[in-house]
Amino acid sequence: MKAGERIYRYAVATRASHWVWVLAFAVLVSSGLQIFNAAPFLDASDTTNPAHRVLEIASPSDGVGTTTIAGHTFVTTGWLGYTDDGMGGRAPRAFPGWITIPAYQDLADGRRWHLFFAWIAIVCGLAWLISAAMKGSLQNMILRPSDIPKLWPMQAYYLKLRKDPPPHGIYNPLQKAAYTFVLVVLAPVIVLTGIALSPGIDAIAHPLTWIFGGRQFARLWHFVAMVALIGFFLVHTFQVLTQGVLNQMNAMITGWYRLDKSDGVGP
Amino acid sequence: MKRRLFVASTVSSALAACAPIGTALNGNSGFHNLLGSAQALNHALIDTHGMAKEYTERDISSEFPIDSLPTPSDANYTALLKSGFRDYKLIVDGAVQRRGVFPLAMLERMCNETQITRHDCVEGWSVVAKWSGIRLSAILDLVGPRSDARSVVFHCLDKDDQGTPYYESLDLHQARHPQTILAMRMNNRPLPPDHGGPVRLKVPTQLGYKSAKWIGRIEVVGSFANIYAGGGGYWEDQGYEWYAGI
Repeated sequence: MKAGERIYRYAVATRASHWVWVLAFAVLVSSGLQIFNAAPFLDASDTTNPAHRVLEIASPSDGVGTTTIAGHTFVTTGWLGYTDDGMGGRAPRAFPGWITIPAYQDLADGRRWHLFFAWIAIVCGLAWLISAAMKGSLQNMILRPSDIPKLWPMQAYYLKLRKDPPPHGIYNPLQKAAYTFVLVVLAPVIVLTGIALSPGIDAIAHPLTWIFGGRQFARLWHFVAMVALIGFFLVHTFQVLTQGVLNQMNAMITGWYRLDKSDGVGP
Repeated sequence: MKRRLFVASTVSSALAACAPIGTALNGNSGFHNLLGSAQALNHALIDTHGMAKEYTERDISSEFPIDSLPTPSDANYTALLKSGFRDYKLIVDGAVQRRGVFPLAMLERMCNETQITRHDCVEGWSVVAKWSGIRLSAILDLVGPRSDARSVVFHCLDKDDQGTPYYESLDLHQARHPQTILAMRMNNRPLPPDHGGPVRLKVPTQLGYKSAKWIGRIEVVGSFANIYAGGGGYWEDQGYEWYAGI
């Protein structure tokens, strides 16, 4: 294989689930923020307890929005706390209407969207996982001990401190690290903490809620995992935009990818 | 560079369009019902199979938010409150073999069930409190649901500012769950008026809106489709899930 050569990189299951996730992730984040708005605080405890508050978004007085992170309060009027109410005005509201589904405050419908698309994301994820495991393509994505010494050389290449990327397989060591973290940590944590919030499931499986530190703590981890996934999404999108966007987009639509110098295959 | 800019602006406008498109789709009743279909799956999978975690006295929260419709202030409730609920009677009727009328003193004599459980509000907060009362199943055994009975509807004494009364419902399986109780005491004291006194429902395996306050009458029915807007509860009629285990 050399740069310029076209390879069939993404199976149809990968491409389909990728775009379903794009949709599901957008809906789950925006409906999740809608749900968060109904109780805009996160406590590191089982029950609601202001003494263990990690994050609180509030409107302490008319026209003012504040965000308190671990006891430090910032004025965030217009962005958080006192924001766009989704109906053309402004109101005391944690996350603004332009980022929530529905735009206006509606917990019932936010939950409807969230619980429906949670199923879509989970079913799609399991189907992809089974298909990728059966085809053996999953192992291309998982970080191995032998990849670890190549992490810095790859980063150095991206920072233009190094002329060539270290030789690697279909995914480079940084991609593998990111995918592994998402697959092994973030995806299970966001699914399990979401499930742990259900009083019905808690009644069936107390240990699930317990391992996350209790119900409010599970809510906190659910939020943290969302922030981390948004971080992954931003880096991922930045990489796609800067590493040959049309080639990347074409590959995720048709499956065919043109090898690039950064793929570590030589000129 | 122009290509990148083009793709970047396409991606960001697609994201920015997400909320308005979602809001528009939300108004489509077919789509709205499709979204609601997840409820049937969740109900089938989770139901009320488990037993809610029981806490200890030490875990009882110092504050329990009063987050419901306003405490009733009509003449009937005010008179009941003045008499210390001496004249309160719980009526149980509908698809039953024997209509039941339970004065508060009688309910108090039957009070034999205590639980310290967590109350999870649909909004997201959780608190722990101690509740004492009667298993709903004990009341159902006394009245004997008929063979056509499917659900238990709780008619409450509180109304919203439009005059719409609060109500809730459970299926017989949920109603007979050993932790589903009619509570008359909270944290070792008679149930305070703001927390639903004299009698409220506690369903610790589901979200808080199921645990209706100020119960006046329990109606056993074959179907709740013709009661109020047919959703099976005050909040259900406004779009919340009837199955509130998630």
